Amino acid sequence: MLQCIFLLSDSGEVMLEKQLTGHRVDRSICAWFWEQAISQGDSFKLQPVIASPTHYLFQVVREGITFLACTQVEMPPLMAIEFLCRVADVLSDYLGGLNEDVIKDNFIIVYELLDEMIDNGFPLTTEPNILREMIAQPSIVSKVLSVVTGNSSNVSETLPGATASCVPWRTPDPKYANNEVYVDLVEEMDATINRDGVLVKCEIYGEVQVNSHLSGLPDLTLSFANPSILDDVRFHPCVRFRPWESNQILSFVPPDGQFKLMSYRVKKLKSTPIYVKPQLTSGGGTCRIDVLVGIRNDPGKTIDSITVQFQLPHCILSADMTSNHGTVNILANKTCLWSIERIPKDKAPSMSGTLVLETGLERLHVFPTFQVAFRIMGVALSGLQIDKLDLKNLPNRPYKGFRALTRAGEFEVRS
Amino acid sequence: MFPQFGATAETLSKASTLVFRIGTDAHLYDDPEDVNIAPLLESKFDSEKCEALKRLLALIAQGFDVSNFFPQVVKNVASQSLDVKKLVYLYLLHYAEKRPNEALLSINCFQKDLGDPNALVRGWALRTMAGIRLHVIAPLVLVAVGKCARDPSVYVRKCAANALPKLYDLRLEEHNSAIEEIVGILLNDHSPGVLGAAAAAFASICPNNFSLIGQNYQRLCEILLDVEEWGQIILIGILLRFVIAKHGLVRESIMFSLCCTESSNSGKDGSPTEISIKEDPGFLCRGNNFGLDVDVSGDNDLLASMISRCYIEGPNEYLSRLSYTNRGPELNVAQFTSGKSNNDMKILLQCTSPLLWSNNSAVVLAAGGVHWIMAPREDVKRIVKPLLFVLRSSSASKYVVLCNIQVFAKAMPSLFASNFEDFFICSSDSYQIKALKLEILSSIATDSSISFIFKEFQDYVRDPDRRFAADTVAAIGLCAQRLPKTANTCLQGLLALTRLEFLSSDIESVEGEAGVLIQAIMSIRSIIKQDPPSHEKVIIQLIRSLDSIKVPAARAMIIWIAGEYCSLGDTIPRMLTTVLSYLAWHFTTEALETKLQILNSIVKVLLFAEGEDLWSFKRVLNYVLELAECDLNYDVRDRARFLKKILSSNLDPQGLEEEANIIPQHKELSHVLAEHIFGGQTKPVSPEPMNCRFYLPGSLSQIVLHAAPGYEPLPKPCSLLCDDINLSNVCEGTNALESAKNSDFYDTDDHGSLSGSLDEESTSDYSRQDSITKSSISSGGDGTSSANDDDDNLDPLIQISDVGNACENQNGVSHSGSADLGELISKRGLESWLNDQPALSSASTSEPSQVSISTARISIGDIGRQVKMKSYTLLDPANGNGLKVDYTFSSEVSTISHHLVCVEVFIKNCSSEAMSDIFLQDDESIKRSYSADQTIVATDSSLESHNDIPIIVSMEEITSLEPGQTARGIIQVRFHHHLLPLKLALFCNGKKLPVKLRPDIGYFVKPLPMDIEAFTDKESRLPGMFEYARSCTFTDHIGELNKGKDENLVIKDTFLVICECLALKMLGNANLFLVSVDMPIAANLDDASGLRLRFSSEILSNSIPCLITITVEGKCYDPLKVSIKVNCEETVFGLNMLNRVVNFLAESSQAHL
Repeated sequence: MLQCIFLLSDSGEVMLEKQLTGHRVDRSICAWFWEQAISQGDSFKLQPVIASPTHYLFQVVREGITFLACTQVEMPPLMAIEFLCRVADVLSDYLGGLNEDVIKDNFIIVYELLDEMIDNGFPLTTEPNILREMIAQPSIVSKVLSVVTGNSSNVSETLPGATASCVPWRTPDPKYANNEVYVDLVEEMDATINRDGVLVKCEIYGEVQVNSHLSGLPDLTLSFANPSILDDVRFHPCVRFRPWESNQILSFVPPDGQFKLMSYRVKKLKSTPIYVKPQLTSGGGTCRIDVLVGIRNDPGKTIDSITVQFQLPHCILSADMTSNHGTVNILANKTCLWSIERIPKDKAPSMSGTLVLETGLERLHVFPTFQVAFRIMGVALSGLQIDKLDLKNLPNRPYKGFRALTRAGEFEVRS
Repeated sequence: MFPQFGATAETLSKASTLVFRIGTDAHLYDDPEDVNIAPLLESKFDSEKCEALKRLLALIAQGFDVSNFFPQVVKNVASQSLDVKKLVYLYLLHYAEKRPNEALLSINCFQKDLGDPNALVRGWALRTMAGIRLHVIAPLVLVAVGKCARDPSVYVRKCAANALPKLYDLRLEEHNSAIEEIVGILLNDHSPGVLGAAAAAFASICPNNFSLIGQNYQRLCEILLDVEEWGQIILIGILLRFVIAKHGLVRESIMFSLCCTESSNSGKDGSPTEISIKEDPGFLCRGNNFGLDVDVSGDNDLLASMISRCYIEGPNEYLSRLSYTNRGPELNVAQFTSGKSNNDMKILLQCTSPLLWSNNSAVVLAAGGVHWIMAPREDVKRIVKPLLFVLRSSSASKYVVLCNIQVFAKAMPSLFASNFEDFFICSSDSYQIKALKLEILSSIATDSSISFIFKEFQDYVRDPDRRFAADTVAAIGLCAQRLPKTANTCLQGLLALTRLEFLSSDIESVEGEAGVLIQAIMSIRSIIKQDPPSHEKVIIQLIRSLDSIKVPAARAMIIWIAGEYCSLGDTIPRMLTTVLSYLAWHFTTEALETKLQILNSIVKVLLFAEGEDLWSFKRVLNYVLELAECDLNYDVRDRARFLKKILSSNLDPQGLEEEANIIPQHKELSHVLAEHIFGGQTKPVSPEPMNCRFYLPGSLSQIVLHAAPGYEPLPKPCSLLCDDINLSNVCEGTNALESAKNSDFYDTDDHGSLSGSLDEESTSDYSRQDSITKSSISSGGDGTSSANDDDDNLDPLIQISDVGNACENQNGVSHSGSADLGELISKRGLESWLNDQPALSSASTSEPSQVSISTARISIGDIGRQVKMKSYTLLDPANGNGLKVDYTFSSEVSTISHHLVCVEVFIKNCSSEAMSDIFLQDDESIKRSYSADQTIVATDSSLESHNDIPIIVSMEEITSLEPGQTARGIIQVRFHHHLLPLKLALFCNGKKLPVKLRPDIGYFVKPLPMDIEAFTDKESRLPGMFEYARSCTFTDHIGELNKGKDENLVIKDTFLVICECLALKMLGNANLFLVSVDMPIAANLDDASGLRLRFSSEILSNSIPCLITITVEGKCYDPLKVSIKVNCEETVFGLNMLNRVVNFLAESSQAHL
C-alpha cells in the first residue's frame, strides 16, 4: 500500500508531504527523483512507475504539478496511478484548476482532502459528492465570510448521509425548484493518415456527460437508436450492468451535478471531416513545405478552431513560413503552429515556406508529423444517436436537454 | 503619464491577486512563523488555535520539524470544535511516533470520542488512535476496533477495517488471532462499502487464511459489483487465489493447454482427449494463423507454459529450478478442474465480466487477469477490447496496461492479432510506450497483417526520433524471423535503408543515424542466419556496400558476415580474393573493432580455402598480421600474435602442407585448434530470450521485472483441502500445543539455573581469551613461522592461504580446547579461513618480495583480540556522587530470549567511601511495581506478554563496593529496534539515579558464520530494494601507517594495515562475523582500490540475515573512499544499519583517543 504522497511544483519544490503509514518516507526521495528527472529529461517524466534505490515511485503529472506516491511493497500499480489521477481531479475540481499558487494557498484543504481520501495507504473516500459534503469547497462567499467573521470552518460537523446509502455517489434528497437534466455527447476523433495519404486508422472516443439537477431519488433510463455501432464501453459506477447486457439500455440513479456517465469507442470510421495534405520537397540544403487544408466531408455544421502544428526536425536551422489564411507562429520549442480557425468559403487555406537545413545535409531524411485540431459543435461524428431518456420517481416533469460536440483527438498526418 | 499608468496597472493587478487570495491560507503558507505560534495554541478561541495549527501544518508541508510543539498541540485534542480536531489529528499522526510519551496523553480523549453520538467523530477518533502506532496502546486500540466493527455506521465500520492493518503493522504476535477474528466479522458485513476495506485488511493481514473466504465465497462474488472500485481490485485478487487454491486451474483455460503441451512435448497432438478440438474456436483460429510455421508457435507454447509456471511458482523459484534440474514436479491433471462443471469458477467469471466495463482501469486489468488465468480459451478474447480501451484513459495507465498486454500477446499472439491497428504509434506517445508497442506488433504480426504493419514501419523509420527509428528496424528483423515468408521483403527493405542512409553523405555527423544503420545490419544478419543459402545475394550486396558504409560497428558486422559465410554458394568464394585485398589495403585506417574482425575473417577464409587461393590468402594474412603486430592498440597486437602462433604451420612461407612436415603432429594439432576456434558454425539462437521473468498480470513486479517485496505467486493449485475450516482449526490447535510446550519449557527454567548461566558466561570470557592466544601461537609456530618474529601482541597474524596445514592445525586447536569455546570463537568472527584457493598467497609482513602476486583472499586471524569494545558512559562520577558507570555492548548472545541484547556494565567506585546496594533497573518496570526478583525470573513467555515495553534483565545486585574497586555485570536489554535512549534507574545507597542507555544498532545483530559461497549466494538473493549502499571517507589507517613509519618498526604491509583498521573498526562497533577479506591485485603498491571486506550477521529478534560488504577505493596513504553495501530483507533495519556503519567509519578514531 502507498506510504507517502508528495506534491511537487514544476520547479521540483516539495509543496506538500503526507505520510500515510508508520513507515515514513524521507523527503530526500524527492531530491533523488528530481535529479533523475533533470538528468534523464522528458522520458523520465513520462515513466509512471519508477524503481528508485529505496522505494517504488508512481508519478502522475497534471498541469505541471507532479503527484508522487511511494511504496516499498507489492501493490497493483494501476491502483496507485488511478488514485493519483483521482486526487488530481478532485483537487482541480475543488480549487478551480491546478497550479503551484492555488495549492499553496489552499494547503489546509489539500491536507484535509488527502486525509479523507486515503487512510493507511488504502483509498477511503474518493466519491466527490461525499467529499464535497465533508469538506467545504472554497468559494468567494466563504472566503469573504471568513475574513469578516474570522471564522473559517470548512469541515462538516456531521457525517454525510451518502456514506451509508446504497447509492454513495448521490447526495440524499437534494431539492431543486427547476428540475433539469442535460445530456452531452462529447466525441474525440483519433485518426492517422500515413505518408501515402491513406487513412490508416480512424476512430471515435466519446463520452456521455450528464449534468443533472433533479430532486429526490430519480431513476433514469437512457437508450440509443443505434447501440450496435459501439465497439466498447466503460461506465460510471452508477450504471446497472444487467439492463445493458441484455438490452443495451443505460439504467442509473444519477449523481448530483456534472458527471461522466459512460465512455465509448467507435472504430473503423471511413472518412474525416477535413483533409490536411502536407508536401515536402528537399534538395540542395533546403526543404520546401506546402500544406493544404480543406473540407472533405461536410458534417453540416461549421468546423472551427482549426489548427495545424508540427515539430521542426532537429536538423533544421531556420524556417520561413507564410499562409494565405490564418496566422503562423514558430514557438520556442521549435513547434510551428498554424491557426486557421474557420475555413473560408472562397479559398482553400494553404501554408508554405522553406526550411534551411544544417550545413552538410543535402536533403531532409526525417519527416515531421502534423497534428491537427478542430471542433464541430452540434454533431456527433460517430453517428451515435440518443433515442430517449425516461425519468422515473420525479414529482414534476423536468426539462431535458441534449447536445453534441466533436473535436479532434490524436489526429495525425504524416509527411 | 504613461509610466504612472503602468504603475497603477501594476498595483491593480497586485490588488486583484490579493483579492483573489483573500480568505485563503496563502499568508500562512508563505510566512508560517511571522507570529509566535505557542501563545496562539494556548488561546481560548478556536479560531486562533486553528490559525496556529495551520501554521504548524504549513511548516510540516515545507519539511520543517515542529515536533517541539507536541505537548501544546496534544492538549487541544480535547477541543469540541471539529475544525481544531481535524487539524490536531493531522499533526498528531505526523509526529506521534516521534513523541510516544506525550502522545499517550491524547488516548483518554480518543476513548471519550469513541463514544460520541456523531459517527464522524467516532470514525476520526478511531483512525487517529490506530494511526499513532504505539505498542503500549495496542490492546486499547484492539478493543476499540472490535467495538467499532459492530458500529451501526458504515463509515465507522470502514474505518475499523482500515485500522486493522495498522494494528497488524505493530507486529504483536499475541494479537494476531484477535485481529483475524475481526477481519472475519468485517468480511461478513452486509454493506459493500465495508467489504472493500475488509478485503484490503484481509489481503495485508492474512492473505492465506482461506477459511475466512470459504464461508463467504458466494456472497462475496455476488456483492463484488457493488463494492467500491478500490475494494474491487483487492477482492478480485483474493477470490482468484481462493479458487485456485481450492479447485486448481481450469481445464479449458490457456494455463492448462500450455502446461500439457509442455509435458507431452509435442505441439498440438499433445492436447488431452477430453477437449474436442472442433468445439474450440480459439484453437482453430490459432491453427489457421500459425499452422504453417510450427516452429514459431512451438516457441510461443514454450514461452507461454513458462508464464503459467511463473504465475504459480514465482519466477525466481522456477528459473532457479530450471537451471539445476531439468524438470520439477509436474502439474498433473488432477490439479485441474473443469470450469464448466465447477460452480465456484463459473460464478467468479460471471461476476468479474461486467467489471471489464469499469471506469477504473485498475479494476479492468484485475478482472482481465482473472479471465486470462481462469476463463475457457474461447472466452479469453473477451478481455481484448476492454484492455485496448483502457489505453485511451491516461498515459500513465497506458504504459502499465501495455506492459501486461505485451505478456499476453507473447503467450497467445492470436488473441491480439486482429487488433494490430490499436498498437500503431502516435507521435504523442512516450518513448517507452513506442518501444512496447513495437514489441507487441512484432509478436502479433501474422501473414495477413504483416503488409499493413510494414507500411507503418516504413513511416516510423523516417521519424525524427532516431532511437525509435532504430527500434523499428530491429522490430522488422524480429518480424522476418517470426514469419519466414516475409524475410525477402524485409531484406530488400533493410538493404534499401542501408543504401539510403549512406546516400545522405556524411552520416556520422548526424546524431543517431549510426544507430539506425547498425541496427539495420544487425537485423539483416539475424535474418541471414536463419537460412544462409537462400540469402547469398544479400550477402554479396552487403559486401559490395562496404566501400560506402563508414560506421565502424556496421563495417565490422559486414566483415564478420563475409568471414562466416565465405564458403557459401559459388559467387562469394570468387569474390573473396578481391575483398581480402581491399580489407588489407584499408587495414591501417580502420577502427579497432573492424581491425579485429578483419583478422578473424581472414583466418576463417584461410581455413576453408584450397589450392591456388590459399597462396594469395596467406600472403594477405601475413601482410595484415605484420601490420597488426605494430598496431597502436594492444588488443590488436595480442590478437595478431595469438593468430600467428596458432597458424604458424599454415603460415609457413613454403606454404603447402606436404612440404612442411617437420613436426606433423604439432601442426595437425594447431590446425585442429584453429578449425575449432574459427570454423565452428554458430548455432541458431532462439529469438526469445528464455530468461525473461513473468509475474501475475496487474502486479507491480510485472512492471519493474523483479519480485517486489510482498509479491506472492498464485497459491499451489488444489493446495486447500475441501474441509478447509476443519483443517485450519487443526493447525491452530497444534500451534497452541506448541506454544504451550514452549511456555512450559521456559517456566521450568528456574531462577537458579538462569543466574548460573550468567555466571558461566562471565567466567568464560576470560578463559576464552586464553584459548585465543594459545591458538594463535600454535598456528604461528606451525605455519608461517617467519611471519611472527615480532611481538605477538602487536602484530596481526596472517594465515597464508596455501598453507593448508596451518589452517587445519589452528582449527584443530580451537576445536580441541572445548567444543563450546570453539563455537564461541567462530561466532565472534575472529577468524576466517580459506581453503578454496590453494594457489594463492598473501602478502606477509616479512616477505615483501611476494607482494606482486595477484589477488588474494586472506584471513586476518587474531583480529578479535585487538578489537577494542567502545565504552560509553552511563553515569559519570560528577553526577553519581563518585560512582562511575560505563557500559559496552557485548557481543555475546542472550541465552534467555533472542530479543535481548547483552550490555556489559562496569561500575567503579571513585569516591572515598564504600557504596552499597547498587542495582540497575528499568524505569518503566518500577512504575509497574515489579520487584527485582520477578524481572530476573522473566522468561520468554512473560517477555512475550509484556513485549510492548523495553524490558531489561538486570544484573545481580552488588551489595557493596569498596573505594577504587570495579564491579562488572551483564544486563540484557530489549530495545525493540527503537533507537531512542532507554531510561533506566540506578539505585545506590538507597538513592535512585536516573540514567539513559543509548542503544547501538550494531549490536541488534549477532554474527552469522558462513563461508564466502554462502555469502555470495545470499547476497544474490537480496537484490534491488533489499540492497542499500552509501559511501564515506575513512582516515583511521593514515595514523596507523604513519606510526609505523616513525617508529621504524618492521615494515608492515600497507594493505594489511588498512584491512586491519577497517576490520577492527567494524568489529569494535558492531557484532559481526568477518567472512572474507579480498586483497586487490597488487599492480600498484600504493593503490588500495579493490580491497573488499565482507561481514555477515543476523538480526537478533527475527534471525533475518544482514550482509555488509565494504569496498575500498583510493591511495593507501590518502583518505580512502569506502563504499558500504548492506543487503537485508528488513528494509528499515538495513538502512539504519547502513547509516550507523557510515557514521562510525567516517568518524575519526583519533578524536576519541
